[in-house]
Formats: sequence, C-alpha cells, structure tokens
Amino acid sequence: MVLDAKQLFEQRLGRYQAAIALETADRIPIAPPMNYLAEIYSGSNHQQNVYDPEKLLAAEMAFIEAFPETDVLRSNRIWGPMCDVLDLRTYSLPGRELPPTGQFQFREEEYMKADEYDLLINNPAEFMIGTLIPRLFGEMGKGSSRSHFALLKAGLAQGMRNEILRNRNYQLETRCGMPQAGLGGFIAPFDVLADALRGLKGALLDTYRQPDKVIEACQVLTPIMARFALAGADPLKRYPIVVPTHKPCFLSPKQFDTFYWPSFKAILEILISSGYKVRILLEGDWSRHWHHLLELPKGSLICDIDDKSDIFQAKEEIGHHHCIAGGISNTMFIIGNPSDIDERVKLLCETVGKNGGFILSGACLIPYETKPENYKAMVDAVMKYGWYDKDFEPKPKQAPTVENVRLPKGCLTPWEVKKEELGGVLGEEDLIRIPWETIEEMAFNWLWSWSW
Amino acid sequence: MIDLKVLTEAVEGLEEDKVLELLNEFVNSNPSEREAQDVVSACQQGMAKVGELFESGEYFIGDLIFAGELLTQALDILKPVIGSGSSVKVGKIVLGTVEGDLHDIGKNIFRSMAEAAGFEVYDLGIDQKPQAFVAKVQEIQPDIVGMSGVLTLALESMKKTVDELSNAGLRDNIKIIIGGNPVTEQACQYIGADAYTTNAAEGVKICRNWIQ
Repeated sequence: MVLDAKQLFEQRLGRYQAAIALETADRIPIAPPMNYLAEIYSGSNHQQNVYDPEKLLAAEMAFIEAFPETDVLRSNRIWGPMCDVLDLRTYSLPGRELPPTGQFQFREEEYMKADEYDLLINNPAEFMIGTLIPRLFGEMGKGSSRSHFALLKAGLAQGMRNEILRNRNYQLETRCGMPQAGLGGFIAPFDVLADALRGLKGALLDTYRQPDKVIEACQVLTPIMARFALAGADPLKRYPIVVPTHKPCFLSPKQFDTFYWPSFKAILEILISSGYKVRILLEGDWSRHWHHLLELPKGSLICDIDDKSDIFQAKEEIGHHHCIAGGISNTMFIIGNPSDIDERVKLLCETVGKNGGFILSGACLIPYETKPENYKAMVDAVMKYGWYDKDFEPKPKQAPTVENVRLPKGCLTPWEVKKEELGGVLGEEDLIRIPWETIEEMAFNWLWSWSW
Repeated sequence: MIDLKVLTEAVEGLEEDKVLELLNEFVNSNPSEREAQDVVSACQQGMAKVGELFESGEYFIGDLIFAGELLTQALDILKPVIGSGSSVKVGKIVLGTVEGDLHDIGKNIFRSMAEAAGFEVYDLGIDQKPQAFVAKVQEIQPDIVGMSGVLTLALESMKKTVDELSNAGLRDNIKIIIGGNPVTEQACQYIGADAYTTNAAEGVKICRNWIQ
C-alpha cells in the first residue's frame, strides 16, 4: 500500500511520539535532532544552504526521497541575510568570511565584561539593547542612521525568515509527510552567559570570582529563556522543544549543581507543565550530571547521547525514565563502513532499543561528512533488526490540553510608562495596551535570539 | 623570602588571591633572576599538581581553565624579574587548530598545560592550512605537532595535514598528537597520527613520555 503524505506524516509522527512516551510502535524511529547530511544531499554547498532557502528545501526533499525511512527532519536555523543586515559578529558564515564549502561557526568572545552583571540583573532589556547588542552587531557602530536602519531591516528580515521556516515545514509536511524533530528552542541560562555573553572562559572564571552574580544572573535569565522557548514552540504541541547543552561537559558536578542545573531545571519544569516534551542534546560527556534528569516527570524528555558518553550506561541509568536517542558515532558515519554500521545497529536494537523508548540517531546530529552508503546501511539495518510489531499502525497522540504556564511579560518600556507619557488614554485602554505589550514582548524575545 | 612550598600549594589549590599576593610581595622584594626562576618552577609544579588532580577526577576542565588563567597572571607579575635567561625547555611543540575549524578552547588548555610542563609551544592559532603546519615545522623543527579540532570536518583536515607533512619529508622526525571532540582511535589510525586524546592533561602526559 502506498501511503499519501498525510498518512506518512501521521505514521512517522506517531512512531516518534511513541518512542518519546517510552512505548513501542511498529519499529524503532530514525529521528536525528539535526541532519546535516540532508542539507547537502542534492550537492549544494554550505553557502547556498545558508543563503538560498529553496536550495536547502530541494536538498532535504531529495534526501527524503532517497531515505524515506527517516522519521523526522530538522535543519539549521541560520539564514545568512539575517546575519548580514546586522553584521552579526557571533557567527562566521560560508561564502562570507569562510570559503563557500566551509561550515558556519559560532565565534565565542567576551562580549559582556566581568563587571557588567548588575546591568544584566537589574534591567535585562536595557542591558541587551544598550550594552550587549551594540557589541554583537557591527552595523550598530556605524552612526545612528546605519544603526537605526539595521534594526529596521532586521525586523523586516525576521518576518521573511519566519515565512521561510513556515513554508519549509509546510512543504515537508504536506508534500513529503515529514514531521519536524522539534520546534522552538532555547539554551540554559548558564549557557547564555558562557556562549554569547561572557564566553566559556569568562563565565568559568566568574564562577570562582563572583559566584553569587552568576547565580543571580541565571535566575534572571530563567523566565526570559522559558518565554523564548514557548514563543517559538509548536502551537499544536506535536513536536518537542529542543535545547542544546553547550557547557555542562566543562563543569564539575559541584559547578553543574550550583550554576547550571537549578535555573535549567526551572525552565524545563515550565515547558513540561505547559504540555511540551523537551529534547535535550546532552553534548559531550554528561554521565556525571544526567542523574538530575530523573527529577523531571517520566517520559517528559528525549535525551540525545553524544559519542563522548556511553549510550548503554545512559539506557541503564536514565533510559527507564526518559527516551534515549543516539547510538552511531560521528567517526563511524564518516570513516566507518556499512558492515560496521550494520553490526552497531543490530547491537543497539537488541539492547537499548529492546523495549521501546529509543530513537536511533547520530551523536546529537548526522554529520555533513557522512558517507551516504553508511546512512543507507543504518536505515537498512533498522529495517532488518528494528521491528517491534510490523502490524502496528502508529498514530499521533492527542495534543495535551493544558495551557502554557503564564510568565511575566518581557519588555523594555512597560505599558504604564507609555501610558504616563501619553498622559492617559481617552478610549478603551486594552485596545491600545494589549498590542503594545505583545509587540514589546516580541521585540524583547528577539533580542535574546542573539544570546546563543 | 617567599615560601615556595606554600606557593606551589596555593597554585594547586587555585587560591587566586593568595597566589597573587605572594607573587606581588616577592616582586617588590627586588629578587635575583635565579630566585625568580625558582618561583616560576614552584608555580609550574603547582600546575603539574593541578594536572594530577584532573587525572584523578578531583578537578574538572573548568579547574584547568582557571589554573591556566592563574598561571598566565602569575607569569605577567613575574615578567619584570625573570630576566632574559629562560629556563631549560623539555621539548618543542607546534600546535594549531586545523583548517576549517575556528575553535580554540581545547587547544588553549593544552597549550597552557604544555607550557607549564616545560614545553616551548608555537601556537599557530585557529583555521590553519596544512601548509602552515609544514612551514612552521620546517622553521622550528619541533619534537611534536599537536592538531586540534571540534567540528567533524577536522578529521579530514587533520588527515590532509599529516599527508602534507609526509609529502614534505617531515613525518619521520616528529610525533603527532590529535585532540578534540571528534577524535577517536579509529580516527587516529585513519589520520595517521601517533596518539589522540580528548583530555588536555593526558595529552601533555603523552608528550612528556615521548620526550623522555
């Protein structure tokens, strides 16, 4: 029987959601959180993918045609023109400062100084727009006309980018029956500090020299990042929210417990209480920290295991409580051969995949340099060893009916201040107040999209 | 007079204020170059202890980074009194992040630990083409070449660099160690390096064993 796009979509999503719920569906899902191989599958280079959304979509469609057993897709969030209108300093892009075949990369610097914690803590919006953003955006340093125009262009470009993403997801869903691995994302408060604010070295030195400020800043960032995650999440609550974790692998258990976990956990609780699952990319070796994930409700997380951790140990220690994803190392995809992959998938299916709650994937991603024959070997091996029940028909689960947790609104200029400036309003206040606050919050959220 | 044992212990314990206070007092006491060299050695011994504590699992990467920063500050304070007579180096390392990769955190941790262990390190920086490694190896004639990378593309860049070193006839005179997120034993064999590590302290230990 040939399935149409809608049936395929439901089957794939149902399979994905069953694994997340620690259940078995028809087979183990193939669902990497990021699939770089798919982005370049039709032969376009990195510059084309970053700058030309049609080329990226064409590559992903070609990939789906070649590997229809793949259950979800999610590609990168970078869109070159958005970075260019701002002259964003935190990323190096292919075709711009890198060769067209180079990979986009985050440029970590100390954009926030060690003595600026109070600015962030006392007024996060003012800190971002007044202190940090001018250092992140090169266009802001070229006179007031260029600065204002850059922000105007960025607002317009953001609308274009949203439309590109919407269209891409719509095309993949309706033409290919392909669900997303996740929608919406955020990073942990400590990672905000250690990525685009202080950088790893700065943030780590602060944990020794001014630990109280680091903790306070993380507390301030908690509702900010929770709001940010909810703003970008799937309104239908079909897909998980994705969170990469950048710096836990550098932290001792004590540092993690003190600086990373409390605020991160608070955000996870908000998102889970709002009816979302969260897909956590446990980058590097998380084995010292992952026992904390058991503090969250059973079946609420998908834990992507990097190749620096042992997936069998992860299954034993946290796999009884949360879905585990991963299993194939980067090295195996890049320099291994199909028989290595076949053997590995067989082992995974017989062990970590045995009773459900397992997603087959790479180490948080499928690398660009993956040999296509190795990806094919992985898919073929799942078709050999990955079945639970061939007669089972996976279906998506009912969307949770809970409402999002209400959080205080983020803003630069509260409505009360604006109202005072206006000398009060003569008509119905809410007609003016609600859009004011909504757009304030959108702009506030936008500022934080540059914090990682 | 500065108590070298106390200094070593303060470095080992990452007691920043104490280390800086001891060193500032020492510099103000108008010491000889010889005394200054002893103080440098005491700091380096503290760093070696930090490496041991890391290996035993008591310290973590954050501690190594903090220790590296502490040593840099210590040497800055001591600079005016160290003089030109530098201490004996145990070996030379040419180090860099390979082509296409812009990351440097791991490389920098390795560099500060290797320097503390007495190596003379020539750090090429990030995104270095194979030819840059070849040219520096020809110029410096090091004992060891260290290549670092975080992205998966680094594996191919490392392989190209080893191939270029071989083509230039330099491979047999050097040991090559690779480090960073994507390296594994399988990758090490594929690349043709002599050793791999994802752990800077272990990397320095491997280098020391090669020199002895």
